[in-house]
Amino acid sequence: MGRIQLEKVSKSFGDVEVIPPLDLTIEDGEFAVFVGPSGCGKSTLLRLIAGLEDTTSGKVLIDDADVTQVSPSKRGLSMVFQTYALYPHMTVRKNIAFPMRMAGLSEDEQEKRIMAAAESLNLTDYLDRKPGQLSGGQRQRVAIGRAIVRDPKAFLFDEPLSNLDAALRVGMRIEITEMHARMKTTMIYVTHDQVEAMTMADKIVVLQAGVIEQVGSPLELYSAPKNLFVAGFIGSPKMNFIEGDEASKHNAKTVGIRPEHIDVVESGGAWTGTVGVAEHLGSDTFFHVHDTGLAETLTVRALGNVALNHGDTISLSPRVNEMHRFDDQGLRIA
Amino acid sequence: MSDRRLPRLLQSPAVILLLIWMLIPLGMTLYFSFIRYVLNSLRRPEWTKPALSNWRGFGNYEFVLENKDFLLAIQNSLFIVCSILFLTVILGVLIAVLINKAFPGRGIVRVLLISPFFVMPAVNAVLWINMILDPVLGLQGLAVAGINDLISSLQNAPVVGWFFSLWPQFEPISFRATQTSAIAVIMMVTWQWTPFAVLIFMTSLQSEDQQQKEAAILDGAGAWSQFRFLTLPHLARPIAIVVMIQAIFHLSLYAEIEIVSRGNGNKNLPYLIGEFANNNIGAASATGIFAVILANIVAIFLLRMIGKTLME
Ligand SMILES: Nc1ncnc2c1ncn2[C@@H]1O[C@H](COP(=O)(O)OP(=O)(O)OP(=O)(O)O)[C@@H](O)[C@H]1O
Ligand SMILES: [Mg+2]
Repeated sequence: MGRIQLEKVSKSFGDVEVIPPLDLTIEDGEFAVFVGPSGCGKSTLLRLIAGLEDTTSGKVLIDDADVTQVSPSKRGLSMVFQTYALYPHMTVRKNIAFPMRMAGLSEDEQEKRIMAAAESLNLTDYLDRKPGQLSGGQRQRVAIGRAIVRDPKAFLFDEPLSNLDAALRVGMRIEITEMHARMKTTMIYVTHDQVEAMTMADKIVVLQAGVIEQVGSPLELYSAPKNLFVAGFIGSPKMNFIEGDEASKHNAKTVGIRPEHIDVVESGGAWTGTVGVAEHLGSDTFFHVHDTGLAETLTVRALGNVALNHGDTISLSPRVNEMHRFDDQGLRIA
Repeated sequence: MSDRRLPRLLQSPAVILLLIWMLIPLGMTLYFSFIRYVLNSLRRPEWTKPALSNWRGFGNYEFVLENKDFLLAIQNSLFIVCSILFLTVILGVLIAVLINKAFPGRGIVRVLLISPFFVMPAVNAVLWINMILDPVLGLQGLAVAGINDLISSLQNAPVVGWFFSLWPQFEPISFRATQTSAIAVIMMVTWQWTPFAVLIFMTSLQSEDQQQKEAAILDGAGAWSQFRFLTLPHLARPIAIVVMIQAIFHLSLYAEIEIVSRGNGNKNLPYLIGEFANNNIGAASATGIFAVILANIVAIFLLRMIGKTLME
């Protein structure tokens, strides 16, 4: 079990309120991802759940038990840090054994769990090395191993992959997702990487300045963002925002349309402009289109290779039914 | 010209200077330790000039080994050095860990803690032996007299008088005596050098990784376990540095021993060298070579021990 609830939880450092009171529930077995720009309070929220920070007000509940005053180690949660936080003087084996040693488990049981964790994480060959002799990916695996052996109610990850190179990141992302599918333990995962959020999450929590902007499944956030912030934050490349006459036509203050929802046509599209930068990736082509009279730049994504280059005139046809409309407050109009 | 030669050439002045710096005194000591060389001798005036014709082989070494003070001096050197190292490292770690936490007035406390290190050794010794440890006029004498006065006045009190009449009179300890003078030296040097240890450990504690601590907290490690498994291993290297530097310094303690008891009962090797050097340079040099050997043994032994116990 591992149902985590935050009730009116707030956090201030001195006079600065980093997290205004917020409510959030993460169901047992869920993979929840916190995303948001740097400094929005993702790590702080995670540390509040872990108990590494005291709440200024409000309650943290795990499986309906109030743990607000319970010490971090008694909450039954495991955390994986961005910097791995391995114990540098201990071998991999001792690192993984540490939480069990603190809990006073028998040597046999420790050994059994170490071997199981090492096998599932491909660490068997490195058990007698020190963390300094491992690569970044291996270190991250050790940190995960140390988290697994405690058999926690929930795993907390604070940007665990951000120190890895792109290829390793993809591999580890898949491993963690598989681990979740296998263990079905609650996981809370902090990232500012869109792709990680979209691919791994059951539930994404979008934060801005400590405020939850929207909670929902990746596709909900993609197809029905509640406000301009979420609309701009989720999706890559970013959604195009258009104000003025074009927006008024749709009875909105702002309309948003994703780059993949604008089609490039031979001629006679609703919008025309000149191509600025054209990024030919082979599978896709991204155009940054200027002089449309709608916005400074429109980003357009076309499938496959489209033979238009810098300075060419481009004709665009937006899919009107994929447009998102927002009112004066930046909120979504249904 | 090969690639290596130019850098080597440019390094050489420094290397040569250092070699000369080290080798000449060591060479001279070795040379003197194998010849008869005294400052005054009416009977054998030829011994007052160092010369190869006065070759004595290992005679000086035998002479030193047979001296009744030699073994005592080695024992005493080891006793003093090891006690000081033990105390300064333990006190240093404790104090450094204590003042590593933020508290009001931490800056001032730190400066005050470091200040004993800036007192000159001779002044430090005079202060301690006369003003603190003196059995009559020092703090110790005053404190013991005060306690005795208090007890004797309480012996006449009504109800509880019988209890205090069972108490003995306390005797102040004389730290200039044969048995205790080494203790006095250990106390004053520990007081002076603990700040050095604190300073080194404090800087090291500041570079301790806080996320490791948090991970350990989540892993269920209490304050002691965190100290034992994270802080102490982290401090292993600084402890080794403190031990090395102090071992070198304290094997050559002189001023304190001179001031406390004039070497009465607690000569160490340098003091013995000093005594020999009043006349017999040959014996003094031989003792010096013994001191070098001892210093090396001590350093190797201590470093091994620290490496084993702290690094797991
Ligand atoms: N111990 C602290 N004292 C004061 N302010 C803090 C402290 N820890 C965090 N903050 C502030 O709280 C805010 C949120 O910080 P937090 O680390 O949670 O951000 P984040 O969303 O994790 O950012 P990033 O993506 O860069 O890791 C920041 O403005 C930060 O300056
Ligand atoms: Mg963070």
